[in-house]
Amino acid sequence: MNRFVTANPSKCIGCRTCEVACALAHSKGAGVEGLAPDSFKPRIRMVKTADVSTAVMCHHCEDAPCVNSCPNNAIVYRQHSVQVEQERCLGCKNCVLACPFGVMDVVTVPAVRQFAGMTLSLGVKAQAHKCDLCVDRESGPACVSVCPTSALTLMDRDAMDETLRRRRERAAQEAAEVAA
Amino acid sequence: MEKHMAVCPYCGTGCKLNLLVEGGKVVGAEPLNGVTNEGELCLKGYFGYDFINDTKILTPRLRNPMLRRSRDAAFEAVSWDEAIQYAAKKLGEIKAKYGPDSIMTTGSSRGTGNETNYVMQKFTRAVLGTNNVDNCARVCHGPSVAGLQVTLGNGAMSNSIPEIENTKCVLVFGYNVADSHPVIAKRIIRAKERGAKIIVCDPRKIETARLADLWLPLNNGSNMALVNAFANILINEGLYDKEYVANHTEGFDEYRKIVEKYTPEYAEAITGLPADDIREAMRIYAAAPSATILWGMGVTQWGQGVDVVKGLSGLALLTGNLGRPNVGVGPVRGQNNVQGSCDMGVLPTEFPGYQKVTDPEIRDKFAKAWGVPSLPGEIGYRLTDVPHLAETGKLKAMYVMGEDPAQTEPDLTQVRKGFEAMEFVIVQDIFMTKTAMFADLILPATSWGEHEGVFSAADRSFQRFTKAVDAKGDVKHDWEIISLLATAMGYPMHYNNTKEIWDELRGLCPIFYGATYEKMEGLGAVPWPCRDLDSPGSKYLYEGNVFQRPGGKGLLFATEWRPPQDKLNDEFPLILCTVREVGHYSCRSMTGNCAALQTLADEPGYVTINPKDAKALGIRDQELVWVSSRRGKVISRASVTDRTNKGAVYMTYQWWIGACNELTIHAVDPIAKTPEYKYAAVRVEAIADQVWAENYVQQEYAKLKGGLSKAVTGAAKKAPAYA
Repeated sequence: MNRFVTANPSKCIGCRTCEVACALAHSKGAGVEGLAPDSFKPRIRMVKTADVSTAVMCHHCEDAPCVNSCPNNAIVYRQHSVQVEQERCLGCKNCVLACPFGVMDVVTVPAVRQFAGMTLSLGVKAQAHKCDLCVDRESGPACVSVCPTSALTLMDRDAMDETLRRRRERAAQEAAEVAA
Repeated sequence: MEKHMAVCPYCGTGCKLNLLVEGGKVVGAEPLNGVTNEGELCLKGYFGYDFINDTKILTPRLRNPMLRRSRDAAFEAVSWDEAIQYAAKKLGEIKAKYGPDSIMTTGSSRGTGNETNYVMQKFTRAVLGTNNVDNCARVCHGPSVAGLQVTLGNGAMSNSIPEIENTKCVLVFGYNVADSHPVIAKRIIRAKERGAKIIVCDPRKIETARLADLWLPLNNGSNMALVNAFANILINEGLYDKEYVANHTEGFDEYRKIVEKYTPEYAEAITGLPADDIREAMRIYAAAPSATILWGMGVTQWGQGVDVVKGLSGLALLTGNLGRPNVGVGPVRGQNNVQGSCDMGVLPTEFPGYQKVTDPEIRDKFAKAWGVPSLPGEIGYRLTDVPHLAETGKLKAMYVMGEDPAQTEPDLTQVRKGFEAMEFVIVQDIFMTKTAMFADLILPATSWGEHEGVFSAADRSFQRFTKAVDAKGDVKHDWEIISLLATAMGYPMHYNNTKEIWDELRGLCPIFYGATYEKMEGLGAVPWPCRDLDSPGSKYLYEGNVFQRPGGKGLLFATEWRPPQDKLNDEFPLILCTVREVGHYSCRSMTGNCAALQTLADEPGYVTINPKDAKALGIRDQELVWVSSRRGKVISRASVTDRTNKGAVYMTYQWWIGACNELTIHAVDPIAKTPEYKYAAVRVEAIADQVWAENYVQQEYAKLKGGLSKAVTGAAKKAPAYA
């Protein structure tokens, strides 16, 4: 099973700590002082409507529409998750349209090449931009570790099994109460 | 990487954290397992540290003492020696000419710590000879202190923060915990998970309202009517604890008479709430085996704040929800050390440790300890009196430390006139602020992260914080600056460190005496009262239901509801209520210089408005709009949301361009003198040319930032030979 981060709207307070942690985890060590409104592109987004506050992010689907829609095989299943091989991304946005959760985006970043000690501009490089579960981060997804109300959890096979077990128990209990 | 233990400088939760330091620079924050935060931090706690590093995103850190010899001159950098001599001479002259009561000082409820606040009030009382010292509790939980001192005998939270998650009912009244104290929000969520009922009284659909069992969206300005109706139900439905009332309270007969007419049906007409919902709320509250009332600025920032605080404490008294664990009354303090500045007697009415200035024996005790023949016994001025007192010539000099009244006080036009009318203004701060622009003398202090001390969390817990990095520039600790000034004015004052100050003050304050630095080592927290060296302090107050009043009983108090003071009409048909948002803090001089927090939210800030009101005004979401009141006009950005009730708009108070305090009214509670920030009559207008409006915001913002920056860099360039 692919792992994914799940958000509990009954615990979310809409504070966006997860968004900042996400942007920082992907800042290549630039730190908070590297953050600025124009370049702020967290892969998790807090959504606030009249009745709901919660974070939305990639579900790492088992049969992912983004993977299926990519003409260049840039999106792959790896480490029990859906990952983007950025060097293969064309920026065609098929995946953006295919994602039913609105959590895939295509962003452009300046492309550069080092040559003889100089930095040469190669225009821009497109990137399919979504949650990568912080796969290279030792302590797991940054958003999960900072959420002040523990509204975010990393769902893997074990956590999923535990959730299902609890739900089944509750269902059984409720069935017994109905019968009584 | 080095790690230095600190207590978060935002909000009164008192979260313990480590500042991560590399090469003399703070590069991160990580949570510690403190008593109140248990390993959690919020948005500001995690990402609100880089202001220390002088990012200059909003306004620069102060690096040198700066003096302006006349109001039309630019600031010039001067030596500490010249700055202190100048201040001492000016204050001495003003005191000699107009008397000690012509001078006022402020403590700071922010990063400076308790020891500095103690030293500031000592300076004010012993050196200047006046009780004119106050802090921003005046514009915040002043009514909670004033109200609870009368009804229960102690102005602070009765129970501790961790107990919130073990209560069986939380009555949240005018308190947006998600934005004000995110880490306390977790306690409420956990209480709910453990089966507690949550009741929320707030006109807006705040985050806590989403998870509430019952949400009472009362009309803005109807608090007293609702609280009286609550009492009416508890009494008339026989839900109150008769034995508790008989044994531990007084004033019941009078109380009952006043709340008699506030039937749920009578209150329905004032509050706009269905009578049955009001009944349901009290049935839930009274049925719970333990219940906690939490409130914030939605209760206190009114012309009738003190009365409502007293009324809320009455509900706890009626139901016996005091004097034991997991119950009580909780005025949850907003600024990180506003509890502390009150504890330290930075109040015109009290010495440190809540000892009254009107009590001659207490005055003698302090006079003897401080080595002065006598101390003033007249209650001093309140912060909110300042503009009027300055304009009428009663106040001639002000020494503002770590506050930005030109941003945070109501009706800023009046505030500016007040500062202009004064003969001498000292601002002691870490940043160039709007208030500092009115100063004659600016004294640069070390920041949180650059000094150590003790903060008081909202639940009375004393906790130590340590220094992480050396300050840059020619700056000094706040308490050192005040000591130098005292000495220059002929009162030798010298401390080697904060512990010396702490030991002096706990020796003078019986309720703090047992709270030693040793007990607060590491993650240690000592909630006062802590009278003995072997006591761990008091997690909850009023043990054995003994209240700190003559006779030991709690007072039941009610009074008639009074409508808000500003008046709506065709010209100003909407209510403006000022609020907070999670990512920014206070006047924003700190969070405005934090890259992450500025990235999430920047000028001119939002005015939130209900879709029906927005549609009627032709305003679309995210458009810039004008908001005006009888007192001013500012630009803001519309956030059209169903969470905002119809007929009211909300602005957060930290924006420097979209400054809602240009609009608020200087109408105050008669007892606490706290302003009615929650109710100003305003008009919101669409702006046809949005391109022009966006440019206007950018230009005004650049002009403001440029002015603040130039004041500092200009002075540094002109630095005299000493530098």
